[in-house]
Amino acid sequence: MFEIIGERINGMFLDIREAIVNKDPKNVRNWAVKQAECGAYWLDINTGPVASKEEQVEIMAWLVKCAQEAVDLPCAIDTTNWAAMEAGLKVHKGKALINSATAEQAKMDVLFPMAAKYEASIVALAMNEKGVPKSADDRCALAMELLANADGYGISPVDLYIDPLVLPVNVAQEHGPESLEALRQIKLLSNPSPKTTIGLSNISQKAPNRPLINRTYLAMAMCVGLDSAIMDAEDADLVDTAATASIIMNQTIYCDSYIKIFRQR
Amino acid sequence: MGLTGLEIFKQLPKTNCKECGQPTCLAFAMQLAAGKAGLDACPYVSAAAREALDSASAPPVALVKIGVGEKAFELGNETVLFRHDKRFEHPTGIAIQVSDKMSADEVKAKVAKINKLVFDRVGQTHEVNLVAVVNDSGDAAKFADTAKLVQENTAYPLLLISSNAGAMEKALDVAGANKPVVYAADASNYEAMVALAKKFEAPLVVKGDNLDSLADLVAKVTALGYKNLILDSGARELAKVIADQTQIRRQALKLFRPFGYPTIAFANNADPIVESLNASTFVAKYAGIVVMTTAEPEYILSVITLRLNVYTDPQKPIAVESKIYELLNPGPDAPVLITTNFSLSYFCVAGDTEASRVPSYVVTVDTDGISVLTAWAAGKFTPESIADTVKKLGVMEKVNHNKIIIPGGVAVLSGKTAELTGCEVIVGPRESAGIPSFFKQRWLNQ
Repeated sequence: MFEIIGERINGMFLDIREAIVNKDPKNVRNWAVKQAECGAYWLDINTGPVASKEEQVEIMAWLVKCAQEAVDLPCAIDTTNWAAMEAGLKVHKGKALINSATAEQAKMDVLFPMAAKYEASIVALAMNEKGVPKSADDRCALAMELLANADGYGISPVDLYIDPLVLPVNVAQEHGPESLEALRQIKLLSNPSPKTTIGLSNISQKAPNRPLINRTYLAMAMCVGLDSAIMDAEDADLVDTAATASIIMNQTIYCDSYIKIFRQR
Repeated sequence: MGLTGLEIFKQLPKTNCKECGQPTCLAFAMQLAAGKAGLDACPYVSAAAREALDSASAPPVALVKIGVGEKAFELGNETVLFRHDKRFEHPTGIAIQVSDKMSADEVKAKVAKINKLVFDRVGQTHEVNLVAVVNDSGDAAKFADTAKLVQENTAYPLLLISSNAGAMEKALDVAGANKPVVYAADASNYEAMVALAKKFEAPLVVKGDNLDSLADLVAKVTALGYKNLILDSGARELAKVIADQTQIRRQALKLFRPFGYPTIAFANNADPIVESLNASTFVAKYAGIVVMTTAEPEYILSVITLRLNVYTDPQKPIAVESKIYELLNPGPDAPVLITTNFSLSYFCVAGDTEASRVPSYVVTVDTDGISVLTAWAAGKFTPESIADTVKKLGVMEKVNHNKIIIPGGVAVLSGKTAELTGCEVIVGPRESAGIPSFFKQRWLNQ
């Protein structure tokens, strides 16, 4: 089943930032409900860049609580602040998603044990301190390091969401096919295979007609093994594309109302 | 089925010595998984790791051959948990047991009955596969005598059941040349049983008390160099057998080698109906061999039919026999309906025709089991094939009229079909659901 990670509860957006500042949960709840209705499986929660590192800890816990009071969905706790990460995990109900680790040893050694402790799934980016790899092979080598390390901490591959990294097509066009090839190869690294995810909207940064680029890439990526994406759940055409690709890939049983059913899962 | 990078990496020494030409063991594992390097490039890989990696290319469930000659059969090579994922490969072997406590006449009578358990289903012959001889007496000589007697009276391979290695040796001396199944090596006798099975190259059942002890024992048996095996987890209660069968298949598909063999299950129950139901469950749930006690055809036929159905290939269309089907005892004035031999097409037409309460003949044209419109598009449902079938089966000799009814979807065939068959061709409704009203309006009131 394809998993949409709804990207909208992020302090980068003005309405969420206001909610945080005013301690008013209304907007957070609204976005939780709206994204759930649109078919989101996870709610990404990001405090945004405004607050200080110390404040983020409390804000993350508050956002997770607000979101989960509104809907019965798990959250993707999206921060580079490890204290905020742990605060979010502590109040989270059900299986959370840690967003995200990279193949840097220092990060893996903190976040994988945290995932194991809280029985959370974890997004892991196929990059390290040297930056984003260029070829599919290099991405896979990093994916393998993530997988081997996760395995060492007792994390099942099915709880590991490897992100081969998607770059904007207008400035890093040659990465497009490499990311797709990496997705295909990542699914062959272990049995059961790790899950895969991407930050979908990256593909169309600063390009015209972003929705078209996003949904085209989503269909192509699902064809080579994409299991989830951090994306705009409000983009109806995009969600329709995910529903349709999931039908064509024989992941869900076809019915005439499959587009509606996809959002009701 | 290749190994994944992670599985290979776990077997490597993790020294990162670079002697293989790769920067790390992890990178080397990736190269191996991609088929770009050979294991020989690593000087430090252990023998056990080499063995594990080599065996990974073997199929998840080993192929085991039972018996010799015409009645020999194979088990194993299964690759899926659910038949709709691909198909189940080798149908479950059905064994009927006789006891060495029975008199020679009783044994002969039961074996004669077993020999007659041959059934005709959809034009093919289906039968049981093994006669099990059980050493209930505990007496080695009696066991060997019974095995000999059974062998002389049947062409089926034997399944020799005794935990006594001495008795097994005696029975194998008379029956070993025909590769019977040796049941069973357990923790107490496995060395002797393995030696016997090796000597006669016969498939050997390994019997544990539970899944853990079974895995341990299989490891010990394979360490002795014998891999022609069948598994018994020791479970006898229905729910436990289902659970164990499922685990064994599931772990085998994950390449857990000790469980990479076909299994045996015992359906034995004093009530033959319960026994038949148990056997059916085991056929559906991965059993390689099912052992039953009853030799009454009414209890075996249902199991054999289920086995046939479960082991058909779901990717191939299921065809019914191309013949005349007589519904509700038709007389000479009954209508003649033409359709294809795709089972779904036939059963739709047959069901709707029966619902009309009009006795009819349904003639199925052999289209390799594909539907009316598919066969029409593929040139398999043509005036020629319809005419050939009608003539070959002689359906018009059963009726006193000269009319045949073809599906409405292929109305365009009517003219040419009339020409070739010499019949009046009536175009029926497009959907078989329309048959009852079609009969009312066009057949009964003519």
